[in-house]
Amino acid sequence: MTDVLASRSFRGPAAEDAVESVHNDLDSLWLDVPFVQDMDQMTFTTAVIESVSNIIQHAEPAGDEPVELGVDITVQPTLLQARVSAYHAQPPFGPMEPAVPGEDSESGRGLALIEALVTTVTFERQESTNTWVLSRTSSQG
Amino acid sequence: MEFSYEVRDSYAEVKADGRLNMVSAPKLREFVTDVIAGGSNRIVVNLEKTAFMDSSGLGALIGCLKAARQAGGDLRIAAVQPQVKMVLQLTSMDKVLTAYPSADEAFSND
Repeated sequence: MTDVLASRSFRGPAAEDAVESVHNDLDSLWLDVPFVQDMDQMTFTTAVIESVSNIIQHAEPAGDEPVELGVDITVQPTLLQARVSAYHAQPPFGPMEPAVPGEDSESGRGLALIEALVTTVTFERQESTNTWVLSRTSSQG
Repeated sequence: MEFSYEVRDSYAEVKADGRLNMVSAPKLREFVTDVIAGGSNRIVVNLEKTAFMDSSGLGALIGCLKAARQAGGDLRIAAVQPQVKMVLQLTSMDKVLTAYPSADEAFSND
């Protein structure tokens, strides 16, 4: 049985407001687990916000229902994990490999940044739900 | 996120307080574009109170840098906080967006 020390969940329309809500959830989560080091908090928060933004900006509805965002974050003694889901969504379009844009490019750095910030990123698709699982092994203070 | 600006002797200082994310990034771009249109092409973005920046925010800064250069000037950043510094380093954009300890120092050697 996994030892979940703290968690937060968000579910709502994949719209801009969700970015601030999830960020506020993360800020309050860290207050519950002060032993998680600043560097781990900072990197994991950045990765989760990048993933959430990616869904809001790019997810396309699979049918009549609008895309919904789901974020489930758990803190275990040495593992931070987030399941970031797009419900009622088409499969992601285009390459899922991180790009290396030119230095004057104004977009396209998100996926590479996520990969640099967490230990593993996995993708699952089930029915019309795309889920990215971000895991970061955290150091113990 | 809140934006403000002040015209100094040789540059305009733009302050961006809050989270520079996909919501605020287009607003920063618009704000700086207006400052440039108002006649200032040397811009310092003071990030002292920017606790968070994601790739959208970074994209906005790059867009602002290009706009300042197209107007014959430049854009520099100052008082970068740890999370912003991390994003700049991981994306190698710290070489493009030069960070200065304070707004005063950004154009002091020009």
